[in-house]
Amino acid sequence: MTLILGIETSCDETAAAVVEDGRSIRSSVVSSQVDLHERFGGVVPEIASRAHAELVNPVIADALVEAGVDFRDLDAVAACHGPGLAGALLVGVSAAKALGLVLAVPYVGVNHLEAHLHAAWLQDPEVELPLAVLLASGGHTMVVVVEADARYRLLGETVDDAAGEAFDKVARFCGLGYPGGPVIDRLATQGDPRAIAFPRPMLTDGFDFSFSGLKTAVLNHVRRHPETDVRDLAASFQEAVVDVLVHKLLGAADGAGAPTLVIGGGVAANTSLRARALEAGTETGRRVLLPGLELCTDNAAMIAATAWWRLRSDGPTPLSAGADPSLRLPTSE
Amino acid sequence: MQLLAIDTATPRVGVALGRDGRAVGEVALIGERRHAEQLVPAIEYLCREAGIGLRSLAAVAVGLGPGLFTGLRVGITTARTIAQALSIPVVGVPSLDLVAYPLRHTDRLVVVVADARRHEVFYAAYRPVPGGVQREGDYAIATPAAVVSDFDARGEEVLLVGDGVLAHWDVFLTLERAERAGPGAAYPSAAALIELATARVEREEFCAPADLEPLYLRRSDAEIEWDRLGR
Ligand SMILES: [Zn+2]
Repeated sequence: MTLILGIETSCDETAAAVVEDGRSIRSSVVSSQVDLHERFGGVVPEIASRAHAELVNPVIADALVEAGVDFRDLDAVAACHGPGLAGALLVGVSAAKALGLVLAVPYVGVNHLEAHLHAAWLQDPEVELPLAVLLASGGHTMVVVVEADARYRLLGETVDDAAGEAFDKVARFCGLGYPGGPVIDRLATQGDPRAIAFPRPMLTDGFDFSFSGLKTAVLNHVRRHPETDVRDLAASFQEAVVDVLVHKLLGAADGAGAPTLVIGGGVAANTSLRARALEAGTETGRRVLLPGLELCTDNAAMIAATAWWRLRSDGPTPLSAGADPSLRLPTSE
Repeated sequence: MQLLAIDTATPRVGVALGRDGRAVGEVALIGERRHAEQLVPAIEYLCREAGIGLRSLAAVAVGLGPGLFTGLRVGITTARTIAQALSIPVVGVPSLDLVAYPLRHTDRLVVVVADARRHEVFYAAYRPVPGGVQREGDYAIATPAAVVSDFDARGEEVLLVGDGVLAHWDVFLTLERAERAGPGAAYPSAAALIELATARVEREEFCAPADLEPLYLRRSDAEIEWDRLGR
């Protein structure tokens, strides 16, 4: 039995988790800073970094207690080392490296994007490959095909705003609050998704995404028609985003002959996206794997699980390593 | 009693190991703000060469700043985490004190000035007293010119020291009755941290790890902007 402690501090969640043999979650603790960033309408890097530094040690302690283990029981310690906010990443990396040194166990630096993909295996270790994965959050939007032996093909990603960022910006402009995702999701349930015909940017144009133009279209519409019902606005905007996301996910699955669709990242909490992904699966005879919300959003269980795989394939990360805020997904070609 | 001391408030990564109040080994690396990369390997090297196992430490001491935000978080998080894993106390000492303490044998007022970037400096003044230095006034942040006029008005003989003095040499050159210390004395001394922290460990002046707050002295840009707009 191998026990790995994972630490995640790349954005605005301070998280720690203990995972057994890369598959079974013994504990997963997440301390969200959403309330600290609320008044600014987005994550403020310096505030996030300060909060991580305050929270990381208590969160590690909680994860160990919940797992019923002691520092001495750990076989390795992992931290997310990118991509993410530089100052934030270095808090988790520093804590994990310190533990690696003191406990004399391997330290593993984990790629945040790869960890999101591993959430599918945590949800179902026997899932049928290849997977067509849509990863959408406030920081990233991409379609990836996951093949055997954790090999990844990045088909496309956003060329400007991430999907979650578009939700936040639209919500902020309309004075709806922060984070934008849940607010718009809630309003959209009471609105008409066909009320306003917003553009579907780059819908049939390869696998890259662009949400900046859609955001601008929403802002222009509100300026021209201030009387628009905000519920119709939310529903129509959300419908445009979900159309694009689901279309590209299905296209990726078709191209790769993937029997399984997976959605991950914070935007995967969106009820419309979840429903539409399930629908798409039913229509095309594919299984849809919807990881639980706690596995979709940033967490440390996915970091510890990925570390287990990486430790077996690549070995430990040297203690002289730092963080890379613009780390890319390791792809097979 | 064995102690590990860490200070990463400036571009210099400083680590020392101490036994019975004296540093037995010290590593000081002036890097390009690669605190997170260099700190743990430096601790590993020192422990190995000094023959002191981490498990034999009685406490960990760390410089609390003010200084580089990311550097401070790397040092404080590393210190806290080592202490957490070993179930030992952690002691925090302001980093400006670690610049002043080695200069306790002067008879001038010691003014420690650390570079705060953006044309500002962190500073504090210290009066040499038998066995150490006594801080006069608070830790503060100001422009180099404001620091000069502050001490100009006091009309006292001062010793200016710190990387803020080096960064704004031309401005500090205008202060009369002042001597300026060079780069050798400009950074927080991890060996001084061993000496200062040992006394506190002996008196059991520990704080809860959660209360070990970095001395930021400056809020985030977003908060400053928020208040400027009067929201
Ligand atoms: Zn994420």
